[in-house]
Amino acid sequence: MKLGHGQLGRRILLSVSSALLALSFAPTASAQDAGGEEKKDVSASEDAAKKEEDKWFAVINADVYPGTGGHFRDGTILAKNGKIEQIGVEVDLPEGTTVLDAGGLRVYPGLVAYASSGLFGASSSDFADTVNTFSPNLVMALGNGITTAGQSGAALKLKRGEIEGVLMKEKATTLLNFSAQNPQGRRSLLEKFDASARYLRDYRAWEEQKKSDKDAKEPSKKDSDATIVQVLRGDVRARFQADDREELLGVARLAQKYGFRPVIEGCREGWTVAEELGRAGAYAVVTPRDRTDKSEELVAAGGTSIENAAILRRHGVQVAIVPSSKGVDLGGIAGRDILALTVEAGFGVRGGLTNEAALEAITVVPARLLGVEHRVGTIEVGKDCDLLVCDGDLMHYETFVQQAVVDGKVVYEKNKELFYAHIRPNIDSVLAPETRVDKGQEGAAKPAEGEAKDKEEKKDEKGPDQGDKKDDKKD
Amino acid sequence: MKLRNLLSSCVALALSSLATAGDLVAIKAGHVETVSHGCIQHAVILVEDGKIVTVGKDLPIERGIPIIEAPDLWIVPGFVDPYSRVGLDARGGSEFNPQIRAEAELFPRNEEFEETLETGVTTLGLYPPGSGGMPGQACAIRPVGATAQEMLIKSGSYLLFVFRSDARSKKMLKDAFEKADEYVEKEKKAREKWDKDQSKKKDDKKDEKKEEKKEEKKEGTAADFQDEVAQDKKDEKAEKTDAAKGYVPPEADEKIKPFLDLRANKLRMLVTLFGAADWLHFSQALGKEKIGYDLRIALTRDIDVYEVAKQIGEKKLRVVMEPEITTMAGTLRQRNLPAEFVAAGAKLVLLPRGDSPTALKNWPRNVGEIIAAGLDRDVALRAMTLEPAEMLGIAERVGSVDKDKDANLLFFNGDPFEPSSKLIAVMFEGRIVHGEVQQ
Repeated sequence: MKLGHGQLGRRILLSVSSALLALSFAPTASAQDAGGEEKKDVSASEDAAKKEEDKWFAVINADVYPGTGGHFRDGTILAKNGKIEQIGVEVDLPEGTTVLDAGGLRVYPGLVAYASSGLFGASSSDFADTVNTFSPNLVMALGNGITTAGQSGAALKLKRGEIEGVLMKEKATTLLNFSAQNPQGRRSLLEKFDASARYLRDYRAWEEQKKSDKDAKEPSKKDSDATIVQVLRGDVRARFQADDREELLGVARLAQKYGFRPVIEGCREGWTVAEELGRAGAYAVVTPRDRTDKSEELVAAGGTSIENAAILRRHGVQVAIVPSSKGVDLGGIAGRDILALTVEAGFGVRGGLTNEAALEAITVVPARLLGVEHRVGTIEVGKDCDLLVCDGDLMHYETFVQQAVVDGKVVYEKNKELFYAHIRPNIDSVLAPETRVDKGQEGAAKPAEGEAKDKEEKKDEKGPDQGDKKDDKKD
Repeated sequence: MKLRNLLSSCVALALSSLATAGDLVAIKAGHVETVSHGCIQHAVILVEDGKIVTVGKDLPIERGIPIIEAPDLWIVPGFVDPYSRVGLDARGGSEFNPQIRAEAELFPRNEEFEETLETGVTTLGLYPPGSGGMPGQACAIRPVGATAQEMLIKSGSYLLFVFRSDARSKKMLKDAFEKADEYVEKEKKAREKWDKDQSKKKDDKKDEKKEEKKEEKKEGTAADFQDEVAQDKKDEKAEKTDAAKGYVPPEADEKIKPFLDLRANKLRMLVTLFGAADWLHFSQALGKEKIGYDLRIALTRDIDVYEVAKQIGEKKLRVVMEPEITTMAGTLRQRNLPAEFVAAGAKLVLLPRGDSPTALKNWPRNVGEIIAAGLDRDVALRAMTLEPAEMLGIAERVGSVDKDKDANLLFFNGDPFEPSSKLIAVMFEGRIVHGEVQQ
């Protein structure tokens, strides 16, 4: 792979890691100096001995927003075989590392769409045997930063052009109906919960009893519901669709009574009962731009609020954000389909959510809800190397995903795909001004090795006009 | 139409009588596209008993041999359409029927075959009907003959597998090979048992007399003893017949046999794919199984198989597709997939756009459009002749202008891929069956 187009960062290869990188990329790799070099060779040969086919990938010179709070500059993220191995400022890169230079660009964790439809081809179940990972919808979703998506209760990785490893978790959530509009269903669900809770209690008692009395009889599973048992054990998350205040309170009470943490989709009036929901340990899946009027019959506060996400969050409810449409459709023009995930999160920020919380609402929280938090949602050592290289704040409407990385592989490059390549093709124009000054000064003070060569390459790629322009800026 | 048929058959009759007079005919032609070894100018082809005897440049012709003079004509080998339903009308579902053979449907003397021949298609691969699953095995035929047996060149040319990305298709493939494994296991056991019996019997023979005496002394009921003796006698008898016959492996299920043949390279598989993802799922389902297979990729408007062209090309697989320009999914950007697959390293078979006489007639012209869009001309010609012949496993007989091959030759009045060119005459196994040529 060629170096990415973080041209500014490339000019000043200052840090140890990037210097090493330049060496490993130079065609005459043997004619090289210095101590760091030896070290690298030793570690590289050791690794080679261990396992020859280790695949190394690194993003360098990035402003890293790991999604765990805070951020740092000039960071390197090194991945081995698709898993993040090391994150830091000065990281030695093993020989043969595929490098993506994100100089002047921000790096975020890949986004997690809590619910989606139509990204993986026509089928909505049996993903392992049917997924179409060449679908244009999938590529567009990658182009808008989504690297993991929930669909029909399963968690799927957007592995473009591959079918192994797409299905991350087959049954992550189960939809339960506890609506007041369906009293019969409500009653039967309550009965199921009762029976299942009783079964679990008896089962635990039996486990204790078994220690002393070997002939103790195992409790019968009769009446208990397998799915509810899974929910109560915490293996599968129960999700409810509830918007009205009363319904929300109903779910909260149910959850508190049986001791599980419900996922509430919709949750439009959640802000009116945020405290109760927080106490019940609920998760909310909200759409900040949802609009419903308050019911005229009610005295209490009601209807939607732009502050919904922020208020819920303040009361301890973990919030995931989804756009109003799950699919990729014409709604995309109006920015309300799945591709508008970051825009929707931006509206959460507008309603008072912090930037960090909004980022979590489209990364780690949905990952948690889908049961894949241990693999995706943040940039942390040991997790999957799913990254986005962006030309600005992720939630800014102007920002584009320049590169999307899934499992340590660049699967999307804006400039090479049909969808957005023509919009603001020159990324220098959208870099933050202070970054430009910083890099320029450093570059002017101490031109890095191989600078001239880089510049030449760039001229070839982008044409003489732009090269000249850059020189002007530098001067 | 009928009049023309009549006329042409009259001509054919006249010519064939001419040809059979000495059973020998020479053709002098301006250009001969041999396919196997390039184009020969001023070529002479000598045909005897329907086979090509020699091909060469400016060869001397013995006096007395009738000569077909075609100094301005281009001669190419008869076209081979390896994926056709011409003359067949059965319908199929999507079951697992690998044992069915397409020739069972064959109805000789069907007018369609004659029409096919007139368009220059001198060999057909007929496939069994089916919209999914494994509908059966295709056969290679000549479109001439009074009986099905006469028409048949090769039975079991390829096993058709209409693959779709779903659990059913994948399971079908895996199960079939698992059952083949079971059979192999069973066969192995049967063989071991046979070997054991064989050696045991040898030992038995040596000790036979001693043992019989011992057994008499042994305690036991008379009935037991008698049984044993009877058993011994039976064994002896069985041994004799076995030894005469040698080892006979147990019979394999008719639905499993094709898969044993696939593994033994006696049969190929033709896998129909509908998109790039199908290729991934098929590869996954096939796993490490080593069989010979070709890919049938029906070029629909928005097909995305270019995504896997590289993977398929690297494996040097053969792709079977129509001469069509497709567009990139969701756009109006055009792609020449036949050319792309060839560039990636795949072998190419081009099909006519349909089975109707019109589609067959337009076949060279359609291929010409793909050549105009960038496909190599020689590859294109090969994709209509020798490559499909190889795919059907009958390349030793048809597909190129070579010694010992059937004299299936097409006479064009120009480059066959030029729109202005016309098919002047068709020679089928040494006889002119359509059109006229100068004698």
